[in-house]
Amino acid sequence: MAKITRRAFIKTAAITTSALAAGSVFSKSSSAKSKKELYDEKMTHYDKGKTSFTYCEMCFWNCGVIAHTRNGVVHKLEGNPFNPNNRGHLCAKGNSGIMSLYDPNRLKYPLIRVGKRGEGKFKKASWDEAFDYVANKLKEITSKYGAKSVASFLHGTGEEPFIILSHAIGTPNVVIPAYSQCMGSREVGWVLTYGTGVSGHSTFDFKNSKYIISFGRNLLGALQVREAEDVTEALARGAKLVYCDPRFSETAAKAYRWLPVRPGTDLALILGIIHVMIRDGLVNMDFVNKYCFGFSQLAEHVKQYTPEWAEKETGIDATTIETVAWEFAKYAPNVVAVPPRRFSRYGNDTQTSRAIAILNALAGNWGVPGGIWVRSKYAYILAEYNRGECDVREIEFREPKEGEPPKPTDERADGAGTLFPLAPKSLGRENGMIEATRMQKPYPIKAWLLYGTNPIGSSSIGKNKLVEEVIPNLDFIVDIDIIPNDISMYADVILPESVYLERYDLPHIQKDAYPFIAIREPAVKPLFDTKGAWDIAKGIAERLGHGKYFEKSVEGRIEEILKELPEEQRKELKEKGVVVFEGTQPFPQAAGEELKFKTPSKKVELYSTKLAKFYEEKKDEYYYPLPKYVPPVQPKESGAYRLLFGRVPMHTHARTQNNKMLAEIYPENELWINEEEARKLGLKEHDKVVLHSLETGVDSEPIKVKPTARIRRDCVFIAHGFGHISKFLEVAYKKGASDSSLCSDGVDRISGAAALNNAFVKIKKVRG
Amino acid sequence: MDAKKRKHRYTMVIVQDRCIGCMACYSACKFEWEVPINKEMFRTQVLEIEKKGVDGNPVVTFLPILCNHCDNAPCVDVCPTGASYKREEDGIVLVEPSMCIGCKACMEACPYNARYYNEELTAVDKCTFCLPRISNGLEPACVATCVGEARNFGDLNDRNSKVYKLLKDAKKVWRLQEDKGTLPNVYYVSMND
Ligand code: SF4
Ligand code: SF4
Ligand code: SF4
Repeated sequence: MAKITRRAFIKTAAITTSALAAGSVFSKSSSAKSKKELYDEKMTHYDKGKTSFTYCEMCFWNCGVIAHTRNGVVHKLEGNPFNPNNRGHLCAKGNSGIMSLYDPNRLKYPLIRVGKRGEGKFKKASWDEAFDYVANKLKEITSKYGAKSVASFLHGTGEEPFIILSHAIGTPNVVIPAYSQCMGSREVGWVLTYGTGVSGHSTFDFKNSKYIISFGRNLLGALQVREAEDVTEALARGAKLVYCDPRFSETAAKAYRWLPVRPGTDLALILGIIHVMIRDGLVNMDFVNKYCFGFSQLAEHVKQYTPEWAEKETGIDATTIETVAWEFAKYAPNVVAVPPRRFSRYGNDTQTSRAIAILNALAGNWGVPGGIWVRSKYAYILAEYNRGECDVREIEFREPKEGEPPKPTDERADGAGTLFPLAPKSLGRENGMIEATRMQKPYPIKAWLLYGTNPIGSSSIGKNKLVEEVIPNLDFIVDIDIIPNDISMYADVILPESVYLERYDLPHIQKDAYPFIAIREPAVKPLFDTKGAWDIAKGIAERLGHGKYFEKSVEGRIEEILKELPEEQRKELKEKGVVVFEGTQPFPQAAGEELKFKTPSKKVELYSTKLAKFYEEKKDEYYYPLPKYVPPVQPKESGAYRLLFGRVPMHTHARTQNNKMLAEIYPENELWINEEEARKLGLKEHDKVVLHSLETGVDSEPIKVKPTARIRRDCVFIAHGFGHISKFLEVAYKKGASDSSLCSDGVDRISGAAALNNAFVKIKKVRG
Repeated sequence: MDAKKRKHRYTMVIVQDRCIGCMACYSACKFEWEVPINKEMFRTQVLEIEKKGVDGNPVVTFLPILCNHCDNAPCVDVCPTGASYKREEDGIVLVEPSMCIGCKACMEACPYNARYYNEELTAVDKCTFCLPRISNGLEPACVATCVGEARNFGDLNDRNSKVYKLLKDAKKVWRLQEDKGTLPNVYYVSMND
């Protein structure tokens, strides 16, 4: 056992009784033996320990994991080789799940606030007390302001029970932040074009691709294991990667061309490429004639967007644009143009997403190896599938199943489905919900139920405005998490969830090229007085008189879901932790099958009939039925840099910075600034600066400077998720700067998702 | 003993093109071996090397490093107690912690910065090629988790092994600091150019 983990045990052992139990289990193994003896023992016989299957919860890719447990202690996590998400590999985060389990700062029992909000004073409570408290408060609030005054922000595997709970309470205001803060614009653009989204587990067949253009999707840095594997595999086979980003990321390191595009002008670049493809007859006309709608309108529309024009907008020279267009066409249809994953950037994102979708369509890569998969319709999966992961067709999160509460039909407070007619009501807009809470409009929002979300670290509103203008409007905040994150400081009640290695959860069911099911079973008993998401939702629901929706236990629900499976596959699931359904067809076009699209015209809509209708109504140029270029917002003052942020391979959002292993690899973010600009400002490596946001007026915590040639001169970059203000996070507290308190609260006019990168910062050197 | 006459010639072959710098190997190794979580302690690392290319654009290389299990191992030569030794049968260089007096001479002697002092063991520690794992038919922890499949492990005596094939098919093969005459058993290869 690593010393750090044992230290964690000792520390926590003094605090709770359940920790004592865990501590004693541990001490059995090491009682009399010295470290050296244990080492020798390990060298002579290798004991993997007991194994159990789970799927990872360190990010939302949910790789297959086999947990190894010795003497009741998880000592190693390995990838499950049968799981298509990761084929046996785990990233640094996945490997470090152990440190999240044994994080001494974990939430260990329910807490009820006693001090002022933000002061961080809480008293320990029993679950009964906490549940009663939550239920009473919710009753009070809903009887005064109506059920819809409760807003739920949900993120992670346990979303489902809290959706059921929210619907039982009767509120339509369920927010899945992954929509507005991340993938919303990408999905809306894709759905408008193809009738289907890219989805969280993207549908790109990188592995067989011969030419990949990535528009700011940092495939190898913001990595998801299968994608990263597939891209490296493709490159090893000689595929070419073109990477377009103002910053030279990990992905750029492997690219054969880096296009350092001016931030926010990707759409101009794409339109330039499309222009060349049409002008030079490079389009896959077989596909377009058969399956696309509006090619002639598109051809007419892009005449204005010459490579020379695009050069002026993007800073990428016209000949490079022409070359890329020719290369892309040369390898078509085994090519893919990849949209960013977090597409909440510049406010013109839905149209940019549309343009990327169109670029793919012109190559005719739908249902072709090396292009875009068509995900399978395996009947069992479809029946059990919870939701299309941000698949923003006009479907609900999922239809309530038998025995579940009906969906509330009230108008949402965040404008999803109304002000933003294309934003799905099933996912909502986190940015909109925060704004509604701030304004108390269109109606009062008085309670927040937060599950696995930390609006302080993830939304554009940032700490200051949130704390000063939003939180005071709330009568009640319930926070459900595994660590005391920033928002926990402001909660009225904190309910500790068990870490994924301690609990059962519903099976992970994934539509994919080859769909599959993976199970989660506990590797160890909960170390502390924590509960799984299902039991927490159940506890609250029972006290509100909605116990009937939670009659089954999680295990009962799992049983119910799996009983549909043929016996043989259930057996396989037990043995391998995962069952993959082969024999589906991800490449129907290549197989000579007819393709179907769920758009109004039943074709790939280069010209969007849906947008055309809105355009007529709204006369808003953003809704133009063809992707129309609108230049990005510019700074109001000179001497400011656009603030970009993104991921590093070893952290997920604002939730892993307190993980000791990951913090060792990447403890705090640094400010990437072009070396010439740094020189101009008199900044050297490791100097400390403060970033002043022109948008929020906030000054960041001091942050170290990294002068580098790896970024353009008009922007700076920091890794997302740092600068935590929760003093309970001993490792992460005040490490680095928080992007979310600096970024803009712009909105994409079509999707209603955030436009976080329309923010500009000034840099001030800190003395000493 | 002549390396070729060993029962096994354990070798790691790192496909340079495939390392994406994700550090999965780093954390897998630390958990497998309970390496204390502290910046200066590791059995393997991945360096990020930035240069300028001919076109003025940046060139970034991710370079995994670990003990090279050298055939001519300076760390073994300088060890006063024999705690550091090279196994005859398979070429793996090990440290026996109960014999290590912590003089750190080996750390000085190793040109690869592959060794660290483990305060918990009160001994010098380093990569063992995951000997207990490989003798149980598993891959080393870093290899098993490697997201880019950059790391490959096997026996060069086996002509069907992946490492043998990689070395045979590679366009470029090199080892670190060959001029030091240490004869490393970790190879770096590139399958392109
Ligand atoms: S990518 Fe890494 S963190 Fe995400 S699920 Fe896979 S192993 Fe876990
Ligand atoms: S072979 Fe084992 S000990 Fe050596 S670096 Fe890899 S994981 Fe660590
Ligand atoms: S796991 Fe593999 S790809 Fe990732 S840093 Fe290590 S060697 Fe490189």
